[in-house]
Amino acid sequence: MTYLKSWEEFEKAAEKLYMQAPSKARYTMKYVHSKNLLSLKMTDDVVCLQFKTEIAQDVRKIDKFVNNLLRHIVSKEH
Amino acid sequence: MVLLENDSVSVLDEFKLKSFVLPHDGRDRPTPRVGKPPLPESQEHMCLVRAKFRSQKIATVIHQRDVNKFQVAYSSLLKGNLDGLKKLKKPKTKTKAE
Repeated sequence: MTYLKSWEEFEKAAEKLYMQAPSKARYTMKYVHSKNLLSLKMTDDVVCLQFKTEIAQDVRKIDKFVNNLLRHIVSKEH
Repeated sequence: MVLLENDSVSVLDEFKLKSFVLPHDGRDRPTPRVGKPPLPESQEHMCLVRAKFRSQKIATVIHQRDVNKFQVAYSSLLKGNLDGLKKLKKPKTKTKAE
């Protein structure tokens, strides 16, 4: 699966994917220091969404997204 | 794989890492075969977080009460350690002000 172009696109799609099947979706983040690259992946083993960035400012957005996701996962209602 | 308490997540600091977030229902064994009694349903929603650096692997389960603590630790970890990324310069806004 190819990388999504923009962060907004990824965020929206990832959220939708999670909402479809909260217990199946998983989220992976990989940081490659030598390539100055941060790559994200959200998948439910059927659909796979990927996003990569080189920009430091994106970390803040990602952080917000992960916090949101964590909160959703541990909250009672799904 | 070592399962750590949330407090020990600061071990992550050492790592340029790959991390992994997955909803977790507290199950630690496979689902029983057909005909066997099913496993009890868990009451609490939890989250499994795993991190990998080369061959070292750590993991933790976040319970509801620990979310805030973990989030603070995780945020500062992200901000502090992903230091190879480029800083994007803001386009100058006051170029034609004068």
